[in-house]
Formats: sequence, C-alpha cells, structure tokens
Amino acid sequence: MLRVCDLSLRYPSGKLALTGFSLEVLPGELVVVLGGNGSGKSTLLRCITRTLKPSAGEVWLDGINLCALEGEKLRQARLGLAMVWQQVSLVRRTSVLANVASGALGRYSTLRTVFAGLPADELEAARDHLADVGLAPLAAQRAGTLSGGQAQRVAIARALAQRPRVLLADEPVASLDPEASEEIMRLLQKLAHSEQLGVLCVLHQIELAYAYADRVIGIRNGQIAFNLPRSELSRDAVRQLYLSEAA
Amino acid sequence: MSVDAAQAGAGGVRGPGNSSGSNSGTWGGAVGTAIRFVLILLGIGIVVQTFIVVEARPQDLITGVHGMADLIRRAVPPDFSKLPAAVWPTLQTIDIALFGTMVGVIIAVPLAMLAASNVTPSRLAYYIARAIIGLARAVPDLVWALLFVTAVGLGPFPGGLALGVHSVGMLGRLFAETIEQMDMAPIHALELTGARRIQVFSHGIIPTILPSLLGISLYRLDENIRSSLVLGFVGAGGIGFQLLTAMNLFQYQEVSLLLIIIFVIVLAAERLSAALRAHLD
Repeated sequence: MLRVCDLSLRYPSGKLALTGFSLEVLPGELVVVLGGNGSGKSTLLRCITRTLKPSAGEVWLDGINLCALEGEKLRQARLGLAMVWQQVSLVRRTSVLANVASGALGRYSTLRTVFAGLPADELEAARDHLADVGLAPLAAQRAGTLSGGQAQRVAIARALAQRPRVLLADEPVASLDPEASEEIMRLLQKLAHSEQLGVLCVLHQIELAYAYADRVIGIRNGQIAFNLPRSELSRDAVRQLYLSEAA
Repeated sequence: MSVDAAQAGAGGVRGPGNSSGSNSGTWGGAVGTAIRFVLILLGIGIVVQTFIVVEARPQDLITGVHGMADLIRRAVPPDFSKLPAAVWPTLQTIDIALFGTMVGVIIAVPLAMLAASNVTPSRLAYYIARAIIGLARAVPDLVWALLFVTAVGLGPFPGGLALGVHSVGMLGRLFAETIEQMDMAPIHALELTGARRIQVFSHGIIPTILPSLLGISLYRLDENIRSSLVLGFVGAGGIGFQLLTAMNLFQYQEVSLLLIIIFVIVLAAERLSAALRAHLD
C-alpha cells in the first residue's frame, strides 16, 4: 500500500531533516509516529504528500512512485492519500455537508463542479461519511460553529469522501481535550480496522499511541529510532526517544 | 553588594562619573525640548503655507455673503414641476454607478486572484495584475470619463465605463488584500484532497471571502453613486449633467430640486449599503 524507501530531505540551509527513512503502512493498520519537536515527523508527512520534494528516496502508493511524478499525474496519484491536519482546516462559512463533499472534488471535472456542483450520489456518500464519524445531525450546520473535536471529525469525514487508501494525520488531537482526543483516536482505529484503510498518524501523546496503535515508529533527528508492534514497545524505548531529543 | 554599597554606587557618592551622568541628563532634556520646539514650529509652518498656497482670504467669505444669500433666495422654493424631467437622469445616475460597480467586480475578482501573493499562480502574473490595478486606480475616474467621452461620445455609457475601470483599481486592491489576509489552512487542505486550482477557488476561497467581497462591493457602489453625480459635469450623463445645464442657464430653482434629489439618492445609497453590510456581518 504505502511504502517509503530511503527518504531523505535536506533543506536549502543544508540542514538534514530526514535521513534514509523507510517505512510501510499496510491496509487495516494504524501506525503511530512518535518523536520530539523538530525530529522530522511532520516533515515526513509533507514529503509523503509531496508538499515538500524529498532530496532522495521514493514514496510508493499502490505501486506508483509519487516522487517520480509532477503536475496532473501527481495530483491524480495523490488522490489515494488523504490528510488530516492539526489545525481546523474546514471552510468555516459553508455547511458541514459541503465541507465533507468537497473531499470528492478531485474526482470530477472543474466545469462540472463549478457550474453544476457535485452529483447527488456524492452528497449522499458525504452524508454516510458524516454518519460514520457520528455527526449526521450536523450536516446542515455551518462548519464555523463546530467544536474542535467535531471539526476534526468532519475533517476525517472529508478525508473519507476522497476515498483514499491511506490516511495521514498530523497531530490530529493536538488541540483537543482528552475526551475528544480519545474519540478521534477510536475513530481512526475503527476506520483502519473496519475499512481496511492504512492510517499513519503523528502524535505527541504516548498514552494514545499505547492505547490505539497497531505499530509505533519512533523518530529522532530525522531517522528511525524504532519500528515495533505496539505489543513489543517498551516504555523505556519511548522514554529514551524523548530523553535523547532533550539531550 | 550590600544595600549601603548599592545606594553609594547609585548616587550616594558624588564622583566625576555621577557628575557627567547628571550633565548628560540635562543635555538630554535640553535636546528634547529643542526638538519639541522645532516640531511645533514645523507644524505651524505647514498650516501657514497651506493658507498661502490656497490663497485663503477668509474676509471674502464675509463680503461675499450677500451673493450667497441672493443665490439661495433665487433657489427657493425648489421647482417641483421639473420633477418628472429629473426621473430619467436620476435613474441614469444610479444605473451608471450600478453598471460601473458590476463591471468593476467582474474584472476585479479574477485580477485579485492573480494579484494576491498567497494564491497567485506565478510571480509574473502577480506583477502584471498589480500593474493593471495600480494604473486603473492611479488615474482619477474623472479623467477616465474624459477619455471615454472622447472614445464613445457623450452620455451615460462613458460614465459607466469610467467608474468600471476605476472600480477595477480600487476593488482589485481591496479584494487582493482580503485574499492575502484569509486563513490558508482550509485552502491547503482542499488542495491536498486533489481539488484543482479553480475548484479550490470556487469551493474554498470564494465562500471564505464572500462576505468581505460583498461588503467591499457595496461600499464601492455607495462611492460610485457619489462619483456618477460628478461625472455628469464632464458630459457622462445622469443628473450631474442636468445640474450643470441648470446652473449654466441660471435655473436656480431647478438646481435646488436637483440638489434635493442628489441628497436623497446619496443618503439612501449610504443607508442601504450600511444596512446590507451589517446584515452580512
């Protein structure tokens, strides 16, 4: 599904943000990436989505190397990757349903969507995705009126409307209270397991990683410190990850 | 350091260093006072030179009060029999402003997309769009009206065109600034869903900034109604042209009627625009 091979990124300043980074996310698997501030977690996601162009390495999604593509071909290939952000990324003045349905825009022509809107079955599908995240009654509500937790669930529903094979989440619970954070993680786990979606989630909350991840990747100074199934992950290894970051 | 020692260091002992510090304080105060004095003189100088340059003669206001009173006496009562004849020019004036605003909005929106640094497709497009907006804004609407009167002749059409072009400049700049100030997180998120540039524009940018765009456009319409009155003076039709004609023919009672109509139009446009903008907020 998603395979990252020897990915490296060097900034124009010369700083090496990622070095020979490799990982794999399988269908139905929730992989959590842990690491301190500036360790390269978000940079990794940006390289995978190609919002940053890696200096070296490959990102394979369903047999297509995203790093070898540009322009329209890259856009098409990237449709299989959905992203959920740390900050609320909804269009606040449109309805919740319109926000969710906008995840399907990339599959339709510009002329069609601008002048005729999305087809009715896409709107129905958007309602179903809203129901999946438990927010069906809020379909007509303005997105700007939602709480942080609700907004994040709508963002996940929008990602589902994209019909991705892999869902990337960059600290999706960073600004949420503990209860809302648990809700989001439960939802990501459910989507991974029941929809056979590959989920790669960057987190700062170690306890959430222990509770929900199938596999945990530790990242330190742009390199993999460990890549272990949750059952094999020791608290000492995680502590070491953050201690060495502090050092 | 003990408290006593600290006090001594701070001024308890008067040595050469302390003395010089005190002098420096005095000099600082003197320089500050001198700067304030110069600034006050400069301010007075600016005010005086404006009186000289505009050849201000306040005494003429007193000696000329008879002329003003005579003008007002001849202007009352307003000649309401001319009201039916003023209806069409009034409609023309309003429609010149509406036409100019619509043309301005239609051209300014895509131009602002190119002229907003955060969404422009290229630096070249950015500079070209900024240049067009700058040119449209820099040339006053009155000059545009004179140019268009020369090109297409007298009447409301050149007035509408003049306001349209000038509005492109004003609206283009304000729209671009609005786009530059908007929250880009939803836009980046939409881009990553695979939406194309125009889809991001129609489903992300426009809904986000629509209330601001409408508010700015309504404000511009309000401004254009005032401007369209003046444009009539250079032959661009509307009630302004009728006002000029009445003044030239010394028909002061008609002038006062037209001034009442202008007052009502301007006030109504201002109130309507303010009410609609309040509704948008």
